[in-house]
Amino acid sequence: MIRYALWRILQGIPVLLIVASITFALLRFLPGGPFEREKALPPEILRNIEARYHLDEPLGRQYLRYLADLARGDLGPSYKYVGRDVTQILGEALPVSLQLGAVAFVLCCVFGMAMGLLAAVWRGSAADRGIMLLALLGVSVPSFVLAALLVLGVGLGLGWLPAALWEGPRYAVLPAITLAALPTAYVAQLTRTSVIEVIDLDYVRTARAKGLSELHVHLRHVLRNALLAVVTYFGPLLAMLLTGSFVVEHIFAIPGIGRFFVTAVTNRDYPLVMGVTLLYAVLVVAANLAVDLLYGWLDPRIRLGGREA
Amino acid sequence: MIGPRPQAWLGLLLCVALWGCDASSLPPPAGELRINLGTEPPTLDWARATDNISFLVIEQIMQGLTRLGPDLSPEPALAERWEVSPDGRTYTFHLRADVRWSDGVPLHADQFVYAWRRLLAPATAAEYAYFLFPVAGARAYNGGQLSDPNQLGVRALDARTLQVRLEAPLVYFPSLTTFMVTFPARADLIARHGEGWTEAGNLVSLGPYLLEEWRHEYRLVLRANRDFYAGPPTLDRIVGYMVGEASTALVLFEQGILDLVRLPPLEIRRYRDRPSYRHKAALRGYYYGFNTRLAPFDDARVRRAFAMAIDRDAFPKLLQGGELPAAYWIPPGMPYHNPEIGVRFDPAGARRLLAEAGVNPARLAPVRVVYNTDQTHRLVAETVQAQWQQHLGVRVELENREWKVFLKELTVSPPPVFRLGWGADFPDPDNFMNLFTSYSANNHTGWGNARYDALVEQAAREPDVGRRQALYDEAQRILCEQEVPIAPLFVGAINLAVAERVKGFEPNAMDIFFLERVRAE
Repeated sequence: MIRYALWRILQGIPVLLIVASITFALLRFLPGGPFEREKALPPEILRNIEARYHLDEPLGRQYLRYLADLARGDLGPSYKYVGRDVTQILGEALPVSLQLGAVAFVLCCVFGMAMGLLAAVWRGSAADRGIMLLALLGVSVPSFVLAALLVLGVGLGLGWLPAALWEGPRYAVLPAITLAALPTAYVAQLTRTSVIEVIDLDYVRTARAKGLSELHVHLRHVLRNALLAVVTYFGPLLAMLLTGSFVVEHIFAIPGIGRFFVTAVTNRDYPLVMGVTLLYAVLVVAANLAVDLLYGWLDPRIRLGGREA
Repeated sequence: MIGPRPQAWLGLLLCVALWGCDASSLPPPAGELRINLGTEPPTLDWARATDNISFLVIEQIMQGLTRLGPDLSPEPALAERWEVSPDGRTYTFHLRADVRWSDGVPLHADQFVYAWRRLLAPATAAEYAYFLFPVAGARAYNGGQLSDPNQLGVRALDARTLQVRLEAPLVYFPSLTTFMVTFPARADLIARHGEGWTEAGNLVSLGPYLLEEWRHEYRLVLRANRDFYAGPPTLDRIVGYMVGEASTALVLFEQGILDLVRLPPLEIRRYRDRPSYRHKAALRGYYYGFNTRLAPFDDARVRRAFAMAIDRDAFPKLLQGGELPAAYWIPPGMPYHNPEIGVRFDPAGARRLLAEAGVNPARLAPVRVVYNTDQTHRLVAETVQAQWQQHLGVRVELENREWKVFLKELTVSPPPVFRLGWGADFPDPDNFMNLFTSYSANNHTGWGNARYDALVEQAAREPDVGRRQALYDEAQRILCEQEVPIAPLFVGAINLAVAERVKGFEPNAMDIFFLERVRAE
């Protein structure tokens, strides 16, 4: 198991290298540079700036310099936020996104799986149709619409919860709901389908025949076996939720890193774009590894490392 | 089922306790002003800041030799008075004796010399270093041709006297020294903290307010400087939140959490009649430029015809933000503004001009108008498109571009017609008129006129108000009536909502927040 995990981590390194290289190349192909300004700069000033950030060097040199810095864990200075390093910027913003993402992830797991399980158990009933309608809404309503509705309805209209800002646990509720809505709906649909597949299998009947309670049967036997498909989705979902969302952070004024996925590109802040892209890639790799390890626990038939059939 | 353990109950209790306390949902206490900055200030290093948000904060914590008064003319600040030599090239500033930095160190003329050298040093790579290019030797030093900073035209004659030698006379130099890049700086602090010298806890300044907290991308707190040389300011604290979404900021305003926010365009109509609404025309021009190197815009008559076929009264009705229709270039609120200048809306005259230039609108290839992607720019472009099609009978195609792509295109191959704007850096017409000199990097029209260049240069040196007015009038007539490389459309406006508990705040055309004498009850 540990050997397998180590092997997977090693495999992640070339993945990150490819991501870094592609991002580097794509950014340089984008028309318009970081110091293209509405108020044009005199040539000598532009030269000074390019020298400061080594943008006057040939692209190959810049690329090698970038990789060398990266190997030392240095993501470079931000072009937009003068005097601050990308590492510093991400270090300050990431904890906020992690907190919010974790809350959204828990919401997503609990409500998504509960909705899916109930819909499957009561399949064909009005409750099933109600839950699936809700899931359909969750998948189709864009987050900026939901966010605006929550800010105006719950925040301003009812005044039950803060409409925006980031001052304490209450402030996480509306953004976490917005962030979780779509994946919750998706998890509910996935869970329902998977549960329906196993709910009539022999082992479930055996469990019932043993005299176990319905709750026990559903949670311990049905759901656990139905989880594999859902868990596969958890990897990318976790990475997505933990890296925040531009829309949610923008509307609720939350100082997370989601905003940088958009603003860094519009500002052509190359080091910051590279930083957030790599961070996202690391999280995807790590989350997928965690999911693979989880498989082994959920279904002992899956042997990690591929030594046995 | 196992019962919840004691830790779980404790955790629940803690959650409930935290649930109840959130300071910022309460109305702010008297003496505290909460404003929306909108975004994170990219830096508080006044030598390297270039944007409005940084400027807004820096203006509260720092001062320069001079500062803008309520009427936007330069007033004494750290310099209590100054003299100009008879040749107009040497300015001598006398500093106040009673100014101390927030760590108790007295103000010294050397701190200006250091700051200006730092601004101009190539290694600093300051984008706005060019604001001091009028100083003798500055451009050469910044460009690397001059390596000895001692040869720069800035010297401390003694602790309280700063002498500045200019390349050429410049009548608006005391306006320039109101701008943040000219503020003094402390070599010892920058050496001690490195890049982190602008963080809360490290930043030492001397303005009416001091930096207390800076939570990046979220909130910035300023507190009163009790030792401010002009006496303590009226507010105890200013809290600047960085709420990016204007409609969220407005919700927080309506809940009493924020005191001062910018109104999103769609909300102006709803706020227009409320006492909290504040509005002011800004020193911000919006224009359409013609690429004068491309036919048919290589003919001044065609450009004039297109400028005459725009009914500028349509824009305020369209945009609803208190914009002013403008066919002139120097905006109202700026000295030497002249409302008489500019072409009048005259569709018949425009068609005659086109005919005179030999242009048959029906046979003319579609005119391409390019703007950067934005709701307002799209509305304006569609209006202009409709007017040109209706009044001139030409076909017009609109194209939009992402901002940086658009800027690149302007420098590499400007489209036949493009939209741009210009906001004043300092309230002197040179800042606007300089833009369209043949050598300006901001002139994307490809147009150059020796007479215009000479008039603008002469006006920058002309101390006599009447003669300066005549020079700018003539230059503006060339720009807006005769040659027409640009068609000014309107002057932008500032639209704010200010809580009723806030007294003494008025917006000004430079969009600077003067908060020193504002009260929050």
